[in-house]
Amino acid sequence: MKIVFTAKGNTWEDAMDPRFGRADYLLVFDEESKELSVVDNREQSQQEHGAGPRTAQKVIDIKPDVVITGNGPGGNASRALEAATLEMYVGAGDMSIKEAYEAFKAGKLAKA
Amino acid sequence: MKEIVVLSGKGGTGKTSLTASFALLAGSSAVVADCDVDASDMHLLLAPVVEMEEMFYSGKEAVIDSDACISCNRCLEVCHFDAVETDGTLYEINSVNCEGCSYCERVCPVDAITMKPSLAGDWYVSKIRSGAKMVHAQLGIGAENSGKLVARVKNEAKDVASKDSKALVLVDGSPGIGCPVVSSLSGANYIVIVTEPTISGLHDLKRLRELIVKFRLPSGCIINKADLNSGYKDEIQKYLKKEKMDMLGTLPYDENITSAMVQGKSILEEPYSNSETAGTIREIWKNIQFKLGLDGE
Repeated sequence: MKIVFTAKGNTWEDAMDPRFGRADYLLVFDEESKELSVVDNREQSQQEHGAGPRTAQKVIDIKPDVVITGNGPGGNASRALEAATLEMYVGAGDMSIKEAYEAFKAGKLAKA
Repeated sequence: MKEIVVLSGKGGTGKTSLTASFALLAGSSAVVADCDVDASDMHLLLAPVVEMEEMFYSGKEAVIDSDACISCNRCLEVCHFDAVETDGTLYEINSVNCEGCSYCERVCPVDAITMKPSLAGDWYVSKIRSGAKMVHAQLGIGAENSGKLVARVKNEAKDVASKDSKALVLVDGSPGIGCPVVSSLSGANYIVIVTEPTISGLHDLKRLRELIVKFRLPSGCIINKADLNSGYKDEIQKYLKKEKMDMLGTLPYDENITSAMVQGKSILEEPYSNSETAGTIREIWKNIQFKLGLDGE
């Protein structure tokens, strides 16, 4: 299973970014290969508008099974993500990436 | 660190006056962020003393290099915004009209036009009289608020709060439900909505509620000027109950608020600090702190 986290940094110890569209990084964990890779999303801070759908496109390109974030995404990004077959989990905004993964595994995160 | 965002949907409900009051009640434990950048009026009540100032660039605008320009008129022909001005030989861009679409840059046969980042305004870190820091911004003529600018102001406020170990970031958000509001909701912990008992107050409350539900954020509502129309007040209360939103309190229409505003003050300050309305605002602030799990001092 491939999992995407919206993150403030690029390691397990870094904090989750509660934002979806303007999240600094997208952290991708591949459970099969145990590999953690990073997609830099900081360019969105330079976008006046439309950060949500742009980030949604990036997420869709990664083809994850699961996305874990804080409270987003908003209306436009949600509509874009409906086109993909992925599950969205929220409520991990105040956690570290590691904590968010553990909470997801323990079934403690709410499905959006 | 917790983040409260105050929103209204409809403009003119008293959102900024109330946020300024909450800012004073929160004292030096908070960092205040004014993200209502289109009509950033909170500084009128909080009189921030600027400690740091930085320019803010947003979008692009065309610039014509007059040495390279061959006066072919192509840019003027294609511009949809009448932003190209000429006396027949010299071509210039009117930066207020320029929308940054880059069409002129594409058609220029001699590459005399380049797109430059457009100066939208300034943003500041200041100190207000409660001892708290305030992050705010001011836009230039023709510039518009954006998700980018709101994210910038909020990020700066959060940075200041974490550096100074502050427990709370209090955000004055924009009216409406557009991109700046979406950006202000992102990463928040609790949303306070200020509405008024009118048909548009209720309508815009509902629109805002739909957006907040998407963000799965807890929210509560204050009905300001509640005594002006008891019919709509009741309808709003019914709606809040149905949507399981917190009812944070109601405030009467009170001319003291306007009088205080004219003096550049909040109603919590002299000579209004003992008024009934000031007392109710303190109660409402306690309610908000309780909802957030902050201890009310």
